[in-house]
Amino acid sequence: MPVTVLGISGSPHRHGNTETLLDRLLEGANTAGASVEKVVLRDLHYSPCRGCNACHKTGECIVKDDAIVLYERIMASDCIAVASPIYTMGITAELKGFIDRQQYLWARKFILKTLYFSDDHIKRHKGIFLSTAGLGWENVFDGAFPVITALFNTTGFEYYDNVIANDMDRYGGIIHHPTALADAYEKGQKVVRVLEKLTSA
Amino acid sequence: MPIKVLAFAGSPRRGGNSETLLDWVLAAMAKEPDVVVEKVALTDANINPCRGCNACERLNKCIQRDGMDIYHDKIIDADVIVLSSPIFCMGLAAQVKALVDRAQVFRSRKYVLKLPVVPPERKGKRLGVFLATAGQNWDHVFAAAIPSVKCFYHVIDIRDADISYLMINNVDEKGAIEKHPTAKADAGKLGVDVIAELRKRLAV
Repeated sequence: MPVTVLGISGSPHRHGNTETLLDRLLEGANTAGASVEKVVLRDLHYSPCRGCNACHKTGECIVKDDAIVLYERIMASDCIAVASPIYTMGITAELKGFIDRQQYLWARKFILKTLYFSDDHIKRHKGIFLSTAGLGWENVFDGAFPVITALFNTTGFEYYDNVIANDMDRYGGIIHHPTALADAYEKGQKVVRVLEKLTSA
Repeated sequence: MPIKVLAFAGSPRRGGNSETLLDWVLAAMAKEPDVVVEKVALTDANINPCRGCNACERLNKCIQRDGMDIYHDKIIDADVIVLSSPIFCMGLAAQVKALVDRAQVFRSRKYVLKLPVVPPERKGKRLGVFLATAGQNWDHVFAAAIPSVKCFYHVIDIRDADISYLMINNVDEKGAIEKHPTAKADAGKLGVDVIAELRKRLAV
């Protein structure tokens, strides 16, 4: 069974800087032998979390839409590569809308205690965050990291690595960035090798 | 001219902790003379996420026609803008993030087109309030939301120093905030103080 890598693009803007970076990572993973898929959140139909807390009783979300299907795909993947540009110092509303929907998994873990990930499971499931920002500030990704950590924690993935590039406005886009695309490609290859080794061990 | 307060209730759960906190602040404000309060529940406001098309950098307006058409003008018009959000997954609720991201049109106006967002005589005479609640009891549970909030106020010409914050953690179930020892009193005081400060600014 090849390693499965699921890319999730949270940008409303098709084939922009962030999605290009994700494509490079998936390409790297593919050349290393992984089975690779990409989901574009903009093309899915899902609503944000309603905060109704019905899932606290049942462990199920009452809203049956594409978000639930995507969570099932995430849980069936060895690696997820989650990509969002930075808008207003955070991830996009599309990606935040999707992440907020994980509440039913959180409820299974912490309220109903029907979902549990062993340390070994977490080690064998790697999460990578990819992001670009127009601003050159050092701290421009800081608002995004805790939210991505929440996603990886709840779905049983180790927060394995970041592929991030700021100052896009100055570089004139990701293709002019000196290292980001090569970095993404290499990290895509590397995570597959690491996961293969863990599976064979 | 009455003082205009525009308040966004960001939670999809109506009447929950963050909205209760907001209601306490707004009730205190509304008790003051010559104050008009408008509350908008974002879950019903039909504000779509930003598409990232950057058209506002050329057009000076958003190409999307939705609830933001109304709130764009109201945001400019208001003297006090109150934003409330629950913390979901360490960040603003997605409904709030959508509003914050749609402020991109103001950012384009200010920094790309170099046009005023509010008339120069109103600068420093607008105040912001950010209210948040979180189920987690971690001290840092609000930290990731604040930079987005600061950006939102910055692009609508409310200075960083003119934002007041009241953030209450460790309230999860609906109604939990009612039992909080200080939240209600702090909210009432905040409402009164913000209106008093604004009156002082407007008198100058």
